[in-house]
Amino acid sequence: MANAIDQTRRMLSLVTYLRERPGARVTDVARAFGVTEAELIGDLNVLPLCGTSFRGGDLLDIDTDGERIWWHNVDDVAQPLRLAADEATALLVAARAVANLPGLRDSDRQALLRATAKLETAAGEVAAASSQLSVTFESEGSVFADVDRAIAERRRLWIRYYSPARDALTEREVDPIRLFAVGHTYFEGWCRLSEDRRTFRLDRVAEIKLLDEPSDPPRIEPRDLSLGLVQPAGDDPEVVIEVGPGGRWVAEYYPYDSADELPDGGLRISLRTPDPGSLRRLALRLGRDGRIVSPADLADRAREAAVLALAAYGE
Amino acid sequence: MAIAKAERLMNLALCLMNTRRPVSKRELRESIEAYHEIGSDDAFNRMFERDKDDLRELGLIIETVESVDGDVGYLARRDRNRLPEIALDAEEAAALSLAAKVWQQARLAEAASGALQKLRAAGVPFEDTHSALEPRIPTPEPAFEPLMVATRERRAVSFDYRKANAVRPEPRQVEPWALECWRGHWYLAGWDRDRGAVRVFRLSRISGKVRSRGGAFSAPVPDHVDVRAAVASWAGEGATATARIRLRRDSGYPLRAKAVTSEPVDAEWDELEIPYGHGLDAWLVEFGPDVVVLEPAELRADVVDRLRAVAKD
Repeated sequence: MANAIDQTRRMLSLVTYLRERPGARVTDVARAFGVTEAELIGDLNVLPLCGTSFRGGDLLDIDTDGERIWWHNVDDVAQPLRLAADEATALLVAARAVANLPGLRDSDRQALLRATAKLETAAGEVAAASSQLSVTFESEGSVFADVDRAIAERRRLWIRYYSPARDALTEREVDPIRLFAVGHTYFEGWCRLSEDRRTFRLDRVAEIKLLDEPSDPPRIEPRDLSLGLVQPAGDDPEVVIEVGPGGRWVAEYYPYDSADELPDGGLRISLRTPDPGSLRRLALRLGRDGRIVSPADLADRAREAAVLALAAYGE
Repeated sequence: MAIAKAERLMNLALCLMNTRRPVSKRELRESIEAYHEIGSDDAFNRMFERDKDDLRELGLIIETVESVDGDVGYLARRDRNRLPEIALDAEEAAALSLAAKVWQQARLAEAASGALQKLRAAGVPFEDTHSALEPRIPTPEPAFEPLMVATRERRAVSFDYRKANAVRPEPRQVEPWALECWRGHWYLAGWDRDRGAVRVFRLSRISGKVRSRGGAFSAPVPDHVDVRAAVASWAGEGATATARIRLRRDSGYPLRAKAVTSEPVDAEWDELEIPYGHGLDAWLVEFGPDVVVLEPAELRADVVDRLRAVAKD
């Protein structure tokens, strides 16, 4: 069941919208409002029960045959409504964040800045609260612009890319598909080296060139970003890490299956990763703030690396 | 079957918008069918207050007017509730509809699409456009929503906060000023009442519930709080000193990218000068035997200390 407040919000806009469009098509209206046709029909079933007084008989006479929508007693109650504080905040904060994305095309940036200024005026006093929230997307402007151009011109990219797990740079050709930002900015593409879909973080691209070859990625379903960037598979090996209070940040940076409080203020974290070897870096970084409990060979590898490193200091 | 809440809210909104004179609670109770089902006055009063709050959350300005003989009436004036003219061209509309998709937090995501619906109803030409660019604001912690509301209403909040390295969380009382998302994490800036100073809090370190205190605080809120400067100093940026290290050839690209100078020493090693700030020791040990710290001695000792902890685990 949809949230009643959101449904009310939508129905209020719906009457305004329908007023200008007699005989509007159900499919068009559903698309315009970003709802399914079933949800829209649900709204249309409620609206005839609404009016200024059910006793006076002045209910909204809105009906549909499932294909088109008619409103027989159109009146002027249906004026466009002012924006709520939440609504103005949501749009303005988002628009400012995107407008400041380094590498964004200048024409897009200008359009966004113009829209923001108009929106601020239209929102009036409720626009003020939006200054209390701000979002910065991290991006490498020049890499971003190159990837954006490659996508627009359907061209293949050559990159030198840093893999932190292996602490190495690799060269590869990639057919870029899309750019997205979740804190950091990434691009997703079809990697011609691994013949697989790959996600690249822009600040790890050491070098980038647009090639003359056309980009030709296979048709793939885009990943659902709302599920999180790292989506470990169920059969990935499990790693268990115990951290003290100083290592709790691990739970903020790594998606985990469970994190149980320990009596000393630390955490016992269990996570899955396709490549446990990449956690050697983490084990070294944690130092006395934590240790890998299992798998044992991962803990051994971190220990060996530390012993080897200490030798250079004469220990 | 009880009448759905959305129908009740819609009827209340239409009644309040359609009247030119204030209407009393009694009149509204008679006009709106859903209120008939409510038996007791108490239950009706509670529901009516909640409904008004819900409509206000949607942006409706509902005025309360007291007549000379003490009767209270309500109305939502059309002129005060109308969206002013807004004319966006197709390019501006497309840019705005891209921006409206960035929220993943439920309340703001709904608010953004609600705002687009209002603008669309007012005639803004939004088209379905596909964009190869998809910015997403990271979903904030549960503390976000109560903090956002408290910041807007200027209410002090209290919560338990665990500082980095702290064994357990400690209670804090804060006048919240601003929320900022940077590098994928949300932060709160505000006035810490117990410490009598400006503080920046990371939302992921707030444990348990955020409680907001009754009554608005009156202390002035500065126009700008530099959340980023505070966070960057935790992260060791803005370093003034430098360190000299040896780095194995072909390894440690991120260190090379930050290096001030870099020169080959022999067939295997390069010598780099890199910025030295808080946290550098932890970063350097990640590279294991591929990094050797030359100076300063203090950094060298910190790195050795960390390596020893791992070596004897």
